[in-house]
Amino acid sequence: MSPAISLTAIGLVVVATIGIGLFGLRISRTTSDFYVASRAVSPRWNASAISGEYLSAASFLGVAGLVLVNGADMLWFSVGYTVGYLMLLVLVAAPLRRSGAYTLPDFAETRFESPVVRRICAGLVVGIGTLYLLPQLHGAGLAVQTVTGAPPQVGAMIVAVIVVINVAAGGMRSITFVQAFQYWLKLTALATPIFVILLAWHQPVGVLDSLHGAAAEWAEPLSRAGGRDHPLYATYSLLLALCFGTMGLPHVLVRFYTNPDGRAARRTTVVVLALLGLFYLFPPMYAVLGRTFAPDLVGAGGDTVVLELPGRVFPGTTGDLLGALVAAGAFAAFLSTSSGLTVAIAGVIDQDLLRSRLHRWTGGDYVAVNSFRIAALIAMIVPYLAFTVTGALSLADTVGLAFALAASTFCPLLVLGIWWRRMSTTGAAAGLVVGGIAASAAALVNVAGAPEGGWPRALVGQPAAWTMPLAFLTVIVVSKLTPHRIPAGTARSMVRLHTPEAVDVDRGLPSR
Amino acid sequence: MFARRRKHFGTPADKATYATLHTASLASPHLREGLTPAAAGKASRHLRDLLGTAAIAICDSSGVLAWDGVGGPYESNHRRDAKDLAAPTLRSGRTAVLGAHDVACGDPQCPIRTAVVTPIVTEERVVAVLVAYSNNTSAALVRATEEVARWVSGQVELAELNKERTRAMEAELRALRAQISPHFIYNALAAIASFVRTDPERARELLLEFADFSRYALRRGGEYTTLADELRNVERYLVLEQARFGDRLKVSLQIAPEVLPVVIPFLVVQPLVENAVRHGLEGTTGVGNITIRARDQINEAEISVEDDGAGSDPEVIRAALSGESGSDSVGLGNVDARLRQVYGDTYGLVVETAVDAGTKVTFRIPKYSSGVHASP
Amino acid sequence: MQSLIQSQLRLTLVVIGSVVLVLGSIPLLFWLVPPTRTLSVLGLPLPWVVLGILVYPVMYVAARIYVRNAERIEAEFTEFVGRQ
Repeated sequence: MSPAISLTAIGLVVVATIGIGLFGLRISRTTSDFYVASRAVSPRWNASAISGEYLSAASFLGVAGLVLVNGADMLWFSVGYTVGYLMLLVLVAAPLRRSGAYTLPDFAETRFESPVVRRICAGLVVGIGTLYLLPQLHGAGLAVQTVTGAPPQVGAMIVAVIVVINVAAGGMRSITFVQAFQYWLKLTALATPIFVILLAWHQPVGVLDSLHGAAAEWAEPLSRAGGRDHPLYATYSLLLALCFGTMGLPHVLVRFYTNPDGRAARRTTVVVLALLGLFYLFPPMYAVLGRTFAPDLVGAGGDTVVLELPGRVFPGTTGDLLGALVAAGAFAAFLSTSSGLTVAIAGVIDQDLLRSRLHRWTGGDYVAVNSFRIAALIAMIVPYLAFTVTGALSLADTVGLAFALAASTFCPLLVLGIWWRRMSTTGAAAGLVVGGIAASAAALVNVAGAPEGGWPRALVGQPAAWTMPLAFLTVIVVSKLTPHRIPAGTARSMVRLHTPEAVDVDRGLPSR
Repeated sequence: MFARRRKHFGTPADKATYATLHTASLASPHLREGLTPAAAGKASRHLRDLLGTAAIAICDSSGVLAWDGVGGPYESNHRRDAKDLAAPTLRSGRTAVLGAHDVACGDPQCPIRTAVVTPIVTEERVVAVLVAYSNNTSAALVRATEEVARWVSGQVELAELNKERTRAMEAELRALRAQISPHFIYNALAAIASFVRTDPERARELLLEFADFSRYALRRGGEYTTLADELRNVERYLVLEQARFGDRLKVSLQIAPEVLPVVIPFLVVQPLVENAVRHGLEGTTGVGNITIRARDQINEAEISVEDDGAGSDPEVIRAALSGESGSDSVGLGNVDARLRQVYGDTYGLVVETAVDAGTKVTFRIPKYSSGVHASP
Repeated sequence: MQSLIQSQLRLTLVVIGSVVLVLGSIPLLFWLVPPTRTLSVLGLPLPWVVLGILVYPVMYVAARIYVRNAERIEAEFTEFVGRQ
């Protein structure tokens, strides 16, 4: 693998990303045509942007690595990442858009009219975001290490610095067009090497040898190829976390705000499903090819298989060029997801935790933009420090824990909040706290060093199967016990959440 | 038969009740104006009738608001002391019963020897006290004074509510006033009229635009709309202005599509554009450029309207924003006041201008603000 | 209003139910009928065909069906309310 070409490709991605954000759109957006200017972001563009932001290092590198090492059971990762959007679609997409909320704490406030629930949500956004940023930094470190041999801290530092500068320099990263571009870049980067390999071999069946025969035990589901106990439990628990965690990810909701109405929110989600399905066809192929061409990576954790495969198949210039393309795609993955997350987390830190304090400390003598910049810095420093302390966890595993935390906290809040009118404010708070503590305790145990084996390890490694029902149960029981704490505006909220925009009803106009 | 007749006229107890209610009804209109000295003065006569004491006083922290009852030297003596008598109750909110030791003035002829001091409370705050003077305090008097004070509190609270309602009506009136400027109607219709003979088809189109504009501007219900809808209305407005100014009016737009769904108070952009058109084009013969921008700032949308016209003295704008002058920047003050009312004082208009340097008006809107929802 | 929420909720539950039934039964199938783990379809093992390729179009179709029905419910509701 040639570092020079790969580094150039990575540099190009970085420059293109920042450049489009800072200059390109500012020029192209100037128009005197109102029809063009007041056209909302179409579901297609928005879906590309959501997918671009969503497909992180875990999807780009992690899934292929997991499948390579642990076999067919890991295919559930990409299935779960996709089904998550189906659940989001049928459970929350349209009502969430109609709530008018921009962040998850906004939703909590508008539905439960409680600053306490809002603050708990703000804390959880920061927690989930940090847990999700961690593997992005880890992936960036890995990519730079594979390409240049530099220690992992270097790559992580590069991504952290670029993201903070880019976000703080005006938050241009939230532009739909940039994130949409990232999706197509990632898809191209991942698909091209596969097509080249398949074309070069003329006889694709020979490439698939690793799936058959005596050495193919890894290709069987539930085979314990990865040395995991209770694979059936782990599979279900993982599936549950991924399916119901997606709706609670901080950077997802923010994008739904761009949809003009609930209907567009639904249509966007359908396109997202198509785009994700298309993308996830490829990582398993890397794993299959990797078993043939790079079997040594199985022992090395596997996360680098996507980066190394082109060079293994085609030693020489072709491999270098393809490798550079993949490295660029991987960097696009770190940048887009990290930026989206940092923007979302920093927005919440700024609004809920920092601005009022800053206002008090400086006696009102501050600029709102500065508050956001400080927030962006905090949003990135915390996961970076966590990265330097931990580091050893596999990419997709950490992401799985972030999903589990989201599924155990925001999922009950959103699902019950949208569909159950007898949910009380106390119930909401209790569910968030219980689910949050249970899932983050599991995450902490994992980071600190998981139990040796057997059920404890399975339960801690994939906690969603018990933490999520626990959170749901807590909300329901506590709500039943505190019927007097059902928010007074529940009926009005329900009307607003579920009525199509076309209907002219009293949508509960401001009480101010 | 006899019994029925008695019932018809009422028992003595009934009659007393009616008298009390009648007296109370006489006092209430005055109290509904709030606790001003004038209102308190008029009400206090009826309140004394209710209690039947020698004198009553209503005091707040600034002093005696009203006095009714014995006059002459007795009044001036006790009036002077009233503030001190009232002070503990004003502070604690508890009824105080004061004996001759605290109250009597030394004149044996004086009918005032004792006093009952009761608080008048609105929204859990002691706003004033009612002092009932007599020569002898009974438990019944204390009870009656307390009841009257409670009734007065209720009336004063209603007065506060009335004030709130007046304020809300004023806000609504301000919004109404922003909806459409007579200046613009006149100019638009004049421009349309000029096309009626030369280009009837265009005149027809313009009239339809005008109809749509008016329907949006005069719509009923709903204080909020989306930025997309507001921009659509700005477009109609500019089509009408372009009929008047032709190629002299140049508009460019930089709108981030991400902020189009942001909910904004109805008619906040259009008055700014109208202002820009007026400053940028009227009174000159050259070309005026107007730029409308909407940027995505994470939690907020930043919207600005800029013209390259004559600009103005910052002092004039300051006066317009504070609502002092009835100058040609009326729209600005109105928009500023409404933004502050909805989102708080940190969300007003920011105007950058100087003579001969154009004008740029910027404001920010949070993407989410509790209680703010668009209505269709 | 209540009927709108209820019919939407019913639709949602039907979709989730089908997904749980289909997806949830796959690991169970592999668990209970081991030969399915290595069964070959078109030159690829069955689990890979199902989890690597087939699930995605199925999810997409499910989403399309859901959206069509959800919009139909809303259109009926809008018409009903509008007529009042």
